[in-house]
Amino acid sequence: MRPVTDDVDTEGFFSLAADGKLGVATCGACRAVLHPPTGICPACGAVDVVWRAVAPTGSLVTWTVVERQVNEAFPTPYTVVLVALDEVPEACLVGQLPGRHELVPGEPMVAHFDDDSVLPQWRRVDDRAASPHPPAGQTQGDGA
Amino acid sequence: MTNWTAPTYPRDQCAIAGIGASDFSRASGRSVLTLAGQAARAALEDAGIAPSAVDGIVRCENDSVAHNDLAHVLDVDELTYWGSVPGGGAAPAAMIGQAVAAIAAGLARTVVVFRSLNGRSGERYGRGVAHGAEEVGGNGSLDELFMPYGLLTPGQMWAMMFRRHQTEFGTSGDALAAIALAFRARANANPAAQMADRTMTRDDYDDAPMISTPLRRSDFCLETDGACALVVTATDVARDGPHPLCTIRAVAQSAPRGMNPAVMFPALLRTSLTTQPSAGVARALYRRAGLGPGDIDVAQFYDCFTPTVLMQVEDYGFCAKGEGGPFIEEGSLDLDGVLPSNTAGGNLSEGYIHGMTHIAEGVRQIRGTSTSQVAGASTCLVTSGLPIVSSALVLTDGSEVVST
Repeated sequence: MRPVTDDVDTEGFFSLAADGKLGVATCGACRAVLHPPTGICPACGAVDVVWRAVAPTGSLVTWTVVERQVNEAFPTPYTVVLVALDEVPEACLVGQLPGRHELVPGEPMVAHFDDDSVLPQWRRVDDRAASPHPPAGQTQGDGA
Repeated sequence: MTNWTAPTYPRDQCAIAGIGASDFSRASGRSVLTLAGQAARAALEDAGIAPSAVDGIVRCENDSVAHNDLAHVLDVDELTYWGSVPGGGAAPAAMIGQAVAAIAAGLARTVVVFRSLNGRSGERYGRGVAHGAEEVGGNGSLDELFMPYGLLTPGQMWAMMFRRHQTEFGTSGDALAAIALAFRARANANPAAQMADRTMTRDDYDDAPMISTPLRRSDFCLETDGACALVVTATDVARDGPHPLCTIRAVAQSAPRGMNPAVMFPALLRTSLTTQPSAGVARALYRRAGLGPGDIDVAQFYDCFTPTVLMQVEDYGFCAKGEGGPFIEEGSLDLDGVLPSNTAGGNLSEGYIHGMTHIAEGVRQIRGTSTSQVAGASTCLVTSGLPIVSSALVLTDGSEVVST
């Protein structure tokens, strides 16, 4: 499943990703962070979006392990993560880790860029601890 | 300089005079217009009002039945007011608010508010809008930042929001089980509920397959073919009707700063994932109603997924933020609890008519005709969906209406 990469309000994210950079939209007039991206600044009304590259690191806000497949493009299991950027903590981005993971709230994450994808991808900083396929039911927090 | 003063909210000036619904099923075999017509005619018969007398219709923007479609099958003399409210599950209480405003402004006298969908045999919201799509996003949807990572459904989003509640407050999954079990027990007493005959034990809850951790199938609402309709009139008109009076004390909507644009997933980018727009609705609603959480006898919470109930009991002030888990685990939402809730079974166990049946059940509680009646209930809180924007209302028995 491909993202639309030429929407006028979000294309800056994808063009920076193509250069291996993580982009955040900011207002060229008042410097407000525009996240989610908008073409007009909610704070000052300027139409002057500047996409700037930020450090590709963050911390884990929340996540879910998807067990029930709803779309053939995404075989289960996989883990969807929400990451707050270290450099712009008010900006969060979504990512996907293959398989099941035992994650810890706040744990450090790092973005990487693959040639075969137009999307930034996230992974755990300490991937040695990660077991991509622990048995179902042993994922942390499954006691709901 | 202006000397204009905003009018006060028309408390209890309008009433829900009639309630009606189709059957709830997995395959209706009928068009959504037929279902809407059946529900609206049932509501009008309940109110003792001829269908031809309807002059106003409020619909949900997500409904495929248009105002003139329904007016046609009701054979109305002349429709003079119509409106629609966006937001899917967030719409029903706001739709009642539109009807109240129309009647208070003299735009209509008899307004039908309805929702109709073939939610199981037709379009299934739970599968996500990206089903079968090779390219997603654009046109302001912002879906391009979410769906290509496999974040596709509202259930997956609520799983992430609940996980955050667990992280911030140590909330146990036992709270979610208590919600699902309480509402199922109420559905078991309601012959019209899809789950009327399907009991649920804690083992049943735990044994349900994991869908998106930590949410199981038993945390997810039903998918339903059906329709529900309500008839709103001036209170003085409803007073002459066949039922005990059920007035609309107040209605409120809220879309707070920083709610974020688009339909669903950008809600995950907010500063807080555990305080919902419901908190803003609660402030406006209680102010307009002149009531507080301590005045509410029974509640119908929008429950597309169990965590929505957890966050709403906090946002509507029935306990402090973060204490929803213990509040619910002690049985507060049970029929003998401090806040009996979703007494017809809710979206989770009665049927998923996108929140409209919650209002109908609120009316039954005020009339004293619920299949899980709360003794002496004279106030009912009814909430509509979240997390994008939200709305809610308070129903009363009209005993505080000031005669003018």
